[in-house]
Amino acid sequence: MAKEFNPVVVTANDLVEGDSVFLGAFGWVRDIAAARVALSEGEAKVLETAGNEGENGNLVVGPYLIEVSVTNGQPVPVLRREQIRASGLPTMPFGLDVPVERRAA
Amino acid sequence: MYRYDEFDHRFVNERVAEFRDQVERRLTGALNEAEFKPLRLMNGLYLQLHAYMLRVAVPYGTLDSRQMRMLAHIAETWDKGYGHFTTRQNIQFNWPRLKDVPDILEALASVEMHAIQTSGNCIRNITSDPYSGVAPEEIEDPRITAEMLRQWSSLHPEFTYLGRKFKFAVTGSEHDRAAIKVHDIGIQIIRNEAGEVGYRVLVGGGLGRTPMIGKELRAFLPKADLLPYVEAALRVYNLHGRRDNKYKARIKILVHETGIDEFRAQVEHEFATMDRAAVTAPEGEMERIAAYFAPPELATKPPAPVEFERMQKLDPDFAQWVERNTYAHRVPGYAAATISLKPIGGAPGDATAEQMRVMADLAETYSVDAMRVTHEQNIVLPHVAIGDLYKLYRGLASIGLDMPNKGLVTDIIACPGLDYCALATARSIPVAQAISNRFADNKRQREIGPLSIKISGCINACGHHHIGHIGILGLDKAGVESYQITLGGESTEDARLGDRTGPGFGYDEVPGVVEKIIDTYLDLREGQRETFFQTYRRVGMEPFKEALYATAD
Amino acid sequence: MPQLIDRLGTAKDPWVTLGAEDVLPDSGAMIVPLERLAEALDAGLELGVHLPNDTDPAGLKPYFDRLSLISVGFPSFSDGRGFSIGHCLRQFGFQGRLRATGPVISDQFDYLLACGFDEVSLPDSIAERQPLEHWAATPGRISLGYQRGLAGRGSILDARRAASYAAGRG
Repeated sequence: MAKEFNPVVVTANDLVEGDSVFLGAFGWVRDIAAARVALSEGEAKVLETAGNEGENGNLVVGPYLIEVSVTNGQPVPVLRREQIRASGLPTMPFGLDVPVERRAA
Repeated sequence: MYRYDEFDHRFVNERVAEFRDQVERRLTGALNEAEFKPLRLMNGLYLQLHAYMLRVAVPYGTLDSRQMRMLAHIAETWDKGYGHFTTRQNIQFNWPRLKDVPDILEALASVEMHAIQTSGNCIRNITSDPYSGVAPEEIEDPRITAEMLRQWSSLHPEFTYLGRKFKFAVTGSEHDRAAIKVHDIGIQIIRNEAGEVGYRVLVGGGLGRTPMIGKELRAFLPKADLLPYVEAALRVYNLHGRRDNKYKARIKILVHETGIDEFRAQVEHEFATMDRAAVTAPEGEMERIAAYFAPPELATKPPAPVEFERMQKLDPDFAQWVERNTYAHRVPGYAAATISLKPIGGAPGDATAEQMRVMADLAETYSVDAMRVTHEQNIVLPHVAIGDLYKLYRGLASIGLDMPNKGLVTDIIACPGLDYCALATARSIPVAQAISNRFADNKRQREIGPLSIKISGCINACGHHHIGHIGILGLDKAGVESYQITLGGESTEDARLGDRTGPGFGYDEVPGVVEKIIDTYLDLREGQRETFFQTYRRVGMEPFKEALYATAD
Repeated sequence: MPQLIDRLGTAKDPWVTLGAEDVLPDSGAMIVPLERLAEALDAGLELGVHLPNDTDPAGLKPYFDRLSLISVGFPSFSDGRGFSIGHCLRQFGFQGRLRATGPVISDQFDYLLACGFDEVSLPDSIAERQPLEHWAATPGRISLGYQRGLAGRGSILDARRAASYAAGRG
């Protein structure tokens, strides 16, 4: 019996903005919900090639495949690291969203 | 502090122009990413999980109000309104865009700052003692030596493509607040028997995957030989350091595999045969630099002003802040004050633009316009008149940075971890926040006493967990975060690496684990004054292991 | 055809690099592999040798007066051992042509010159992406560096001292 293939998407970082992006149907997208999901080895190879074109075209940096599980048609990364990356944000409030406890001057 | 002359200005401006050109060539594809990466790293620009990250150099942690205000301006103009102070006395911005970076570097250059060599396989920021020029027992201000090394190491043609990063630290006191024993080269300023000032040089210390305590390379090095000697050491490392394996490429591995005696022989041979005069700084250069670090003119002040004593009685939080966060200056009537960037539940080392501006104002008003970033991610105001401490404290209170917790359990050091860093295996900041919240009560913190917790989100140990009294290392075990605990690490002249307790703990378990460790300490300590570290050294790992792993239920 | 670059621009390479298996000619300018150096010494050639960057340069000292060129290998641009090797060869007294061979990038040209190199031999793939203008633009992009004792380059420390003499501050 063939080894089960885990669905994958291609992710990378936008060259200029630096944020994480995903290869969608017509180019790179920021929302993983719009990412093209490869459901077979063959599809994954096609996706990977397309991802590398993004780097060669100076759109993105460092494309690679990540495993996703597809729930209700939505791809969700398997690894925690990639979940955090896909969210685009730290897991906790940061910067100006951290309340400053001022005591009266 | 050091001020750029025309040569320093030109050097940095040329670098900005060079990087602007490199960015343009990257955007057009004349440079591909593999070629651009070492160049952008040399300018301190990383690519992280969510964005680029720019690491700005703060040489030996020293900066003034003008520079701090510029950092605030950068945070607001090109980032998300805040910055992060690091364990190497630098500052990081987490959200710059690639095409904005040349503008940021230009803004930095206008206030004598840069991001040169804050990452990449080159010589990094020279770090030092936050109490430079303050500590009574200091032999000489180590920042003079640090500045000499900074200039020598800037874009050194021979040492720009090393096998791995290279870190120097310098201390001017026997009590080592610069952690020189865990640096690639650590330098201690000492006096020899003839009373001459020179250096004790250590080599091969470091943390990360294979932590090691540095070994003595040279017991006494005359000051004039500084540059040729470090050049000789770097040359031996550059030629013979391993290049086959990224995790075996630091000088500590070369020293370990060669043996310190053979390694020393090679360095001394190079030092003896090289053209030293060609490399040595011209006569007068060290004196020229030293002049910038001359002690500031501090007006005579009373050592125990009446108002100061009164406010300590009236405001117990202020009294605790004085006790924990101030350090007796060598000039009577003055103190160095630590601004804790560890508010309860906050991200260790972070400061908003507003907080930076207020700190700048306070430094300008109360500390002869001087500030230092510490490797424990706090800010020191080095020259505060004791009579001004209360006003300083109230100023800090207005921006929530008045925690009286220096060196206490909530003065946590944490790397950015999996929330930011592409190398991380686990989250570190939320763990620090949970521990901080657990121990928020000031009284309880005082009760526990000095206890440094250091958290790293991966084996690279940027949180310096090996040298924490309690070290926490976040790993990934089959997709689940698992935190290993070490006990009894220490970063000073008594440097030692922490001992592992045993199997790791889950993300939710960590605050409870820390509590168990502290409760065990409180049970075992001999009197109020025995610190956690002292107790651990006396009783060893067993009681803690038992408390953590004994299956009672 | 690898591209040869020096301070003056690009050039056709006057040297031929001998392969490990090639027959040694009896005349011409040849760069031989290190392991064939002994064989080539008596062959009446204008002699160059290629030194891989994990080899001790001191081993070439006895042959300096016989060598017109030493080529130092740079297996990748991130492997900077060659910079120290070049420096050492000059320190040992080599006065011939010093060549950096490998996929170095134009941004390293300045450093190579400062470490005593005269020329760079690039593989074609690199040369295509890094036109000569980039190489020509690099030297002098940082007009003075902090380090003293470098080939053909003044230092900030010396310029600073000279300026202070000139200003009468001595």
